[in-house]
Amino acid sequence: MEALQEEWLPLSMTVDRALVNSRVRPRHLLSDVLREHAGAASVHIGCGQGICGACTVVIDGVPARACLMLAVQAEGCRIQTVASLAELEGESVGPQGLTRLQTAFRHHHALQCGFCTPGLLVSTAVFLSRNTAPSRDAIVDHLNGHLCRCTGYANIIAAIESLAK
Amino acid sequence: MSVAETPFGQRRRRREDAPLLTGTARYLADLIEPGMAVMRVIRSSHAHARITRIDFAAVAHDPKCLGFLSAAELPLGLGRLPAFDLHEGSAAIHHPVLAGDVARYAGQPIAIVLARDAYAAEDLAELVRVDYEPLAPVMTVHAALRAHAPRLYPELGSNVVHETTQRVGDPEGAFAAAAADAGAVIIEQEFAFPRVTASSIEMRGAIARVEPGTGRYLVHSSTQVPQVLRDQLARITGLPRERLRVVAPAIGGGFGAKESIYPEEILVLLAAMRFGLPVCWTEDRVESFTATVQGREQYVRVRAALDANGIVTALDADCLADIGGAYALLSNTPGAAMATLRGPYRIPNFGSRTRSVVTNKTPLNVYRGAGYPQATLAMERILDAAAAQLKLDRAEIRRRNLLQPEELPVDRGVGYPGCPRIVFDSGNFPACLQSTLEAIDYANFAARRDAAAPGTALGIGLSFVVEMTASGPAEPARVRMCADGRLELLSGITPIGQGSETTLVQILADHLGVSEAAVVFRAGDTDLAPDAPGTFASRGATMGGNAAVAAGNVFVTAARALLAELRNVPLESIVWDAGLLIEHGGHREPMTLQALCAFARSAGIDPLERLDVHAEFPDVGTAHASGCHAAVVSVDIATGSVQVLDYAVTHDCGRIANPLLVDGQIMGGVVQGLGTALFEALRYDAHGLPLTHGFGEYLLPTAATAPRFALRHLETPSPLNPLGMKGAGEAGCTGAAAAIVNAVADALTPFGVAPGCGPFSPDHVLELLSAANSKKPRPC
Repeated sequence: MEALQEEWLPLSMTVDRALVNSRVRPRHLLSDVLREHAGAASVHIGCGQGICGACTVVIDGVPARACLMLAVQAEGCRIQTVASLAELEGESVGPQGLTRLQTAFRHHHALQCGFCTPGLLVSTAVFLSRNTAPSRDAIVDHLNGHLCRCTGYANIIAAIESLAK
Repeated sequence: MSVAETPFGQRRRRREDAPLLTGTARYLADLIEPGMAVMRVIRSSHAHARITRIDFAAVAHDPKCLGFLSAAELPLGLGRLPAFDLHEGSAAIHHPVLAGDVARYAGQPIAIVLARDAYAAEDLAELVRVDYEPLAPVMTVHAALRAHAPRLYPELGSNVVHETTQRVGDPEGAFAAAAADAGAVIIEQEFAFPRVTASSIEMRGAIARVEPGTGRYLVHSSTQVPQVLRDQLARITGLPRERLRVVAPAIGGGFGAKESIYPEEILVLLAAMRFGLPVCWTEDRVESFTATVQGREQYVRVRAALDANGIVTALDADCLADIGGAYALLSNTPGAAMATLRGPYRIPNFGSRTRSVVTNKTPLNVYRGAGYPQATLAMERILDAAAAQLKLDRAEIRRRNLLQPEELPVDRGVGYPGCPRIVFDSGNFPACLQSTLEAIDYANFAARRDAAAPGTALGIGLSFVVEMTASGPAEPARVRMCADGRLELLSGITPIGQGSETTLVQILADHLGVSEAAVVFRAGDTDLAPDAPGTFASRGATMGGNAAVAAGNVFVTAARALLAELRNVPLESIVWDAGLLIEHGGHREPMTLQALCAFARSAGIDPLERLDVHAEFPDVGTAHASGCHAAVVSVDIATGSVQVLDYAVTHDCGRIANPLLVDGQIMGGVVQGLGTALFEALRYDAHGLPLTHGFGEYLLPTAATAPRFALRHLETPSPLNPLGMKGAGEAGCTGAAAAIVNAVADALTPFGVAPGCGPFSPDHVLELLSAANSKKPRPC
């Protein structure tokens, strides 16, 4: 066991638009490796317990909590963080450097401290790509995978509702 | 002449949003660099134990170990955390940086190890051997008060470490009169407020290193109070203040929990100094549940006397505050709760006794609202009970007791450290109540209740808060000219997510008549920001805003004086108009600041030196914000689940600089209060070990819990500051638990349930219903 822990394994994955080749230990969490080896500082660690959703990234098109995966599980995967939000939304970035979803969040004051925001944005982009006209209930159901301690959620719901049509 | 939109009062979208939305903002953990030593804290695994041995033998020669420390290795004299506002006569039970002989709560720091990465640091921490001789834990205030209870500090002879009383009028006489009056009623209730944790999604963290170039120590911390931290680090380490720079990076929420000075902030610096390494530490969520200060826990017995008309003639309260194992920075929360118990109600006779009691739990400190949520809940529950007994409408009983606008300002005759004399400066409480009753459609609630779906019970609850905001000490600000022609506001207010930058720039730009784009904002860095108390107590916008205005005024005078000097004219002949300097009676063109700078340079004067000013907004007394809350809840009788359907607040924070952000504060605060009312409670086993270590056991509100909001504002200006502002940061949180608990109680009353404080989790509601089942429930 000790020996296995100490072993370095090669890891190759795509993070946003870059191919990342690294060496990791089997115990290394994907969240740590994304932050430390791939420069993805937007992957925020809010609990490390798979509950708060702040570290959510999109892995081969599916939102996942990076703190619940070992980095070695991401071998060969394509990982998208908030840096890929425009791609996830299928749009180009707007005039202020913000996507449609980011602009809606800003307009509705759907963020305060911003710590939960990048994870929330990527999973919401995937949600909206699969549900173009979600009901309020569906939006709330989607948001239940994320904890936000600042906003009280009402403005987040309003921001997403403004894009649902 | 076009009428330009002035910034004050506009729903400005936030300047700070873009980096947060794009993930490029830098929080504490994002500043960790390769090569830094990672600190891991070894924490007490017992609630109460004598530490008999700390043995580093297993790590001392491990090549992965870069250093270790326990209390024995700390230089003498180091090692006590500050507690700032102790009442006279408080026992000296300051929190040690590292526990030496005795650990007084599970999670208390005992030692540290340093390693090259977090994984190795955790491995090493496991190998450090700590031997304990367990002592009997004292886990409740009631146990702590027993005659033969173990003493946390035997030398004190008691677990009561502080006691205070408040008295207004003649409460004993009023209770005696009520007891003798057949029409009067006396209501008595007990409240047990659960212990909660602020739970910012970003946890705490700190980094200390030698600053390249200067040789000083640079400390980054996720703190609300970088200036205070710098001073305390200097006091504890003996470093001169000038050799320390503290920077708060982007902060992922604070809510008061990042207002304390913590052992880890001191330990990273001590370790960096001792081992000559840059040292970083980030909290994990399990640690956060014991290592970060907690909030609220109090036991209060309240007694009220009312005459036959529902006028509260007297109130008295006995409060036991469970402050945990030691003081953490502030001790005033229980005092605040009792001093403010009467809220907006006149109540001429009042008495309270508050005892702070030590137990073997994590230290208690301020959490958003700091005493007010407990006070509000107790007062508002009492009023509902009295209304029921007197068969009065619940809005009516409040209306009869509210202070009237013409009675303000009113000295409430009580105080506490931090607010020595409570004087309500402004407000219109009856209008506030009326507005909220309309917003929640109180008049038609009976019909709505009757139309509830089968199996659900609806309830409505009211609460009213008057809260201290915008407190002292005096708040400084600095305004200076930048080389690029913009103005820079250097604020003492460290933003923690509320939008301070946007608000304070709006205020300054409005005051000077310049565009917001022409103002740069900086804060959170002790090298740049003025020495200031920090961000807490709903003071950022009001104190920071008035300080910015004061500095703006000095800046204008400096600019006028510079031009007057250059032109050799009297100061009075130069006026400031919307960013331009105009000479009265002269024929010269108005001059921009940039032109003034060029002019000064041509005369051999450095304009940036002359146009760099400080000013201070004095501590003129505390502006009191007020607000009336109302909640409508639905209780599912089969599952016990409570949903807050509608939530109305009419809030009065005086003049509002940015309504969008004030509403954001109120909604966010309400949902935190909702968590307190419905979900959140820290729990312990019989040995005093925490049972809540994460968001799996400690439930936070999710999107599904968010109510429909109806927010309204009164804008009664505070006479205490030129902007007429009062604070809003805690407003939502202070009133929410009370309104929601009253609504839950209202919904459950027909079932014979008499609920306490909550949290009203489904389990708890079902227990209450089942306990009341012997009495025949009325079918709903």
